[in-house]
Amino acid sequence: MKTAGRVFKRLLVFLGSILLLSLVVFYISRLAPGDPVACYYGDQAQRMSPARREWAQERLGLNAPIAVQYVRWLENALQGNFGISYKYKRDVLEVIGERAGNTLLLGGGSFLLLFSLALLLGAACVFWEGRLPDRLLCRAGTVFSCIPEFWLSLLLILIFSVWLRMLPSSGAYSAGGAGGSLDRLYHLILPVAVLLLSHLWYYAYLVRSRLLAETREDYVLLARAKGLSRRKILFGHCLRGILPSYLSLMAVSVPHILGGTYIVEMVFSYPGLGTLAYESARYQDYNLLMLLCLLSGSLVIFCSLLSEAIGGRLDPRMHLQPFEEEKR
Amino acid sequence: MKGRPFFVRPFSPGQARRKRKPLFSAVLLLLIFSGCLFCPLFFTGDPAYMQLSSSHLPPGRDFFFGTDALGRDIFLMIWHGGRVSLLIGFLAAAIAAAAAILLGTLGGLAPAPLDAVLMRLNEILLSIPSLLLTVFLQAILGKATVASLSVVIGLSSFMGMARVVRTEVRQLKSSEYVIAARQMGAGFLRILCRHLLPGCMPSILFMTVMNIRGAIMAESTLSFMGMGLSLETVSWGSMLSLAERALSGGSWWVILIPGAFLLATLVSITELGNSLRDGLYQKQSNL
Repeated sequence: MKTAGRVFKRLLVFLGSILLLSLVVFYISRLAPGDPVACYYGDQAQRMSPARREWAQERLGLNAPIAVQYVRWLENALQGNFGISYKYKRDVLEVIGERAGNTLLLGGGSFLLLFSLALLLGAACVFWEGRLPDRLLCRAGTVFSCIPEFWLSLLLILIFSVWLRMLPSSGAYSAGGAGGSLDRLYHLILPVAVLLLSHLWYYAYLVRSRLLAETREDYVLLARAKGLSRRKILFGHCLRGILPSYLSLMAVSVPHILGGTYIVEMVFSYPGLGTLAYESARYQDYNLLMLLCLLSGSLVIFCSLLSEAIGGRLDPRMHLQPFEEEKR
Repeated sequence: MKGRPFFVRPFSPGQARRKRKPLFSAVLLLLIFSGCLFCPLFFTGDPAYMQLSSSHLPPGRDFFFGTDALGRDIFLMIWHGGRVSLLIGFLAAAIAAAAAILLGTLGGLAPAPLDAVLMRLNEILLSIPSLLLTVFLQAILGKATVASLSVVIGLSSFMGMARVVRTEVRQLKSSEYVIAARQMGAGFLRILCRHLLPGCMPSILFMTVMNIRGAIMAESTLSFMGMGLSLETVSWGSMLSLAERALSGGSWWVILIPGAFLLATLVSITELGNSLRDGLYQKQSNL
């Protein structure tokens, strides 16, 4: 009964935040300078007579006060109708649905790779604490954490696509239709590499500092005294000790990885949600922007709730000491 | 020392590994700073001057770092653009620090309900990817200028610091010397400025340095995406916004040179920031 109440409360918080988010995004997107009519009608918009322009705005429902527009949008949205995209002139859900798979592939793939590698690297640092591998990894981490994602992408494109002509510099598949899954993987290499290189060190460093604290615990000394090997203690005991907080860290980080994919998608002109969001913000494609913001917003809120839930369920100590977010 | 077998690593708790001072980073940063600061004295040309006849020239004798797609001299742009980038970095970090100190001390000293509300709001803001937040704030303010961009970046990066300040103020608030000061009749502001803030100064300093780095990075990313400074306002970020055109033309210097300066600055700032923090474990590992 108690859990049911708590779940209900969480759900209320979730819905409330989404509603608030939609309101804020709606107002802000309409305050921003730009012309949605131009987005819908293209070049024609500039040649329109004032009367025709009025009619066009009326048709897109942009004449009413913002509050009225919002209520109208909300009514439709609650019935599952999120309007049409001004640019693509199709149902917003359809437009997003087409691209969501690509982003999921890129983001999800890098996410899994990222967090397994970060755990491994962090553990390696602790295993060789203060010695060459550790120092090298930390130094590389400092440098890579300073490279802006977009510049890293440009650098890799310059090296691997322009100079070496080994890897494609843009898109999700070769022109002329889908060339099989191998072709898609081929196009994923560079974007995933950028995401990995720019995020890996931060998380590996978090794992490292957490593990360093863990190896100072008394139980490690006991295990050593009993004759267990260092490897066994590190991987069997210490790593297991930090795993719950690591899982909850993974949940919180989903939005940050998502933010990263947006930039990477833009540079590589990868047909995903990131490029879509960028376009819609630039060209005042209101309905599309709204839904994209709502989607990422609900993901953010959902993930933070998830991480709280994971933390509390797996490890009661979490209430005392959450994974410290150390900034470097 | 003599009788110790070679495989036993030396350990003396008193003088555990001493941290090295980041001398190299400091010198590099100083060079870049002074170059940007004093460049108008030495290089009098206009960095935004476009001469389309000499576009896409590789580095050579006339143009040390080559020219970009619009025929601007990259060597001049580096120094003049650095002024803008660094200025935005410092301004944004200062704004973030001010906001964080205000909100943090307010949260730390306020009664529990207000504190809870503030921190909850703070957490919500913290969970939004900061780039998204900057884009949105910038959209409200309209066309980006150096000032508006600094405000936007500053206001979207103070949350982490506010949380740290609040926690520290909360801890220091009930420490004995603060209670003693209050007993002696010190006013609120005096306690805040003389007793509480100095206590959190190390972490504020560290996070401010990191914020400078973050702000420079954010500026370059935003300008690259076309949402920050326009092409006419030369900064390291807006120089890179021509990079995609340079890629197809194969003019590497347009991408690599501003990026190298950006990277050198960011790495040096990070090294300096890390040296401000006492991160090393004094205790020996049990592993």
